[in-house]
Amino acid sequence: MHKIISYTILFVVTILLQIFFFDNLSLSIYLNPLIYIAIIILLPVDTSPLLTLAVGLVTGVVMDFAMGIAGINTITTVLIAFLRPFVLALFFDKNNLREGGIPSEGQLGRLSFLYYLLILTLVHNLLFFILEDLSIVHLPVTLLRFVVSSVVSLPSLWLISQIFTHPKLQTSL
Amino acid sequence: MHKIVEFIRSIYVFLLFVIIEIIALVSYANSSYYTQAKMLNTSNVVVGGVYDASAFIGHYFSLKGENETLLNRVLELEQSLLKYKSAEVLKRLDDYMVGNTNNDYELMSAHVVSNSVNKSKNFIILNKGIRDGVTVDMAVVSPSGAMVGYVADCTERYSVVVSILSTSFKASGKLENKNYFGSIVWDASDKHRVHLSELSKYAMPEIGEKVVSTDFSNNFPEDVLIGTVVGAEMNETETLYTVEIELAVDISSLEDVILVRNNNAGEIEQLKSGHSSNPLAN
Repeated sequence: MHKIISYTILFVVTILLQIFFFDNLSLSIYLNPLIYIAIIILLPVDTSPLLTLAVGLVTGVVMDFAMGIAGINTITTVLIAFLRPFVLALFFDKNNLREGGIPSEGQLGRLSFLYYLLILTLVHNLLFFILEDLSIVHLPVTLLRFVVSSVVSLPSLWLISQIFTHPKLQTSL
Repeated sequence: MHKIVEFIRSIYVFLLFVIIEIIALVSYANSSYYTQAKMLNTSNVVVGGVYDASAFIGHYFSLKGENETLLNRVLELEQSLLKYKSAEVLKRLDDYMVGNTNNDYELMSAHVVSNSVNKSKNFIILNKGIRDGVTVDMAVVSPSGAMVGYVADCTERYSVVVSILSTSFKASGKLENKNYFGSIVWDASDKHRVHLSELSKYAMPEIGEKVVSTDFSNNFPEDVLIGTVVGAEMNETETLYTVEIELAVDISSLEDVILVRNNNAGEIEQLKSGHSSNPLAN
């Protein structure tokens, strides 16, 4: 039960952070960090593919309405939710997957966790920025936007995962 | 039959994934800036209140600069008012204002509650809506009188503005004091620059020249300042210029804006549609 509560808090906090902080950063027109995918990245490793897909769908639809973009967030979050079990299988053997737990540096090993985070974030960001501006003419700008935003998204997501998997926080919840 | 059920059971997650993606893709392909504005307004019901509060607090930190701008504007207006006053006194034009009660344009101020510059289609959300008399297509200008955008949709308390920093923004512009015009486009590469494209080769733009709005659109009054020319390029066939414009206003630091309603827009629109339905016209 406490799992559902802690994941609900994670969902609400990351979405609020995205809408009220990251979406309103006016530092550069190329900077649009996308951190709401934290919930999909941090779901327990034994989550069924169907539930992962459902979480991806809900996150995408909520963000579509919040950002006022019809469909892009849903397309990208559902894609990484679908890919997640396969990416996890790359870094985890089957027995460990069945045991469950939150994907973290402790569970996967530092390097494996970083690769896992990197793959899901980059796939999501690349598709998001390409779909956001479907034009060959703007491609260099789109790629720059992808690179700059990913450079900020990745440490932010890593930080969120560190806070969420911190032993003290997990025991107090 | 049993085998088919088994097969579907083994790949149902994939099937579901494909179905959701197709629905999302179709809704994305069918969306326009109008749907986006509608969706933003739906979420405004929830997030609007929080935006209001944060904008209210943030407002205090920029009061000093805004006061200065307003003061300068007041001085400017005082000065032009003095001119009219002296003209009136000197020439004793008692009936100066008779028959001049119909203003072409009406102004209204509004506060920016949310604004972005980091997307390819940027929107600005204002704290005035239908109940304050905001209507779709009203022009939005900065307190100093520079072009910002136009209203795309409004709810009771909020309205969504298509920012000039949006690839779907449409307006025409011309060089001040020259009658050559082109269209204003943003290429999503610089939040301080837009382009005036399809400008005739006879226009001969010069660096530092001002670019203003034309009176072709139903949104903007004529001669609203857009920015100044910083460069120009001729196209390959040497027939048209694309002019680079430095915007007169920094969209990302907007706090307050002025909404402009064109009181004649309805009538012009009526005339246009009436004209096209006239069988003699064809």
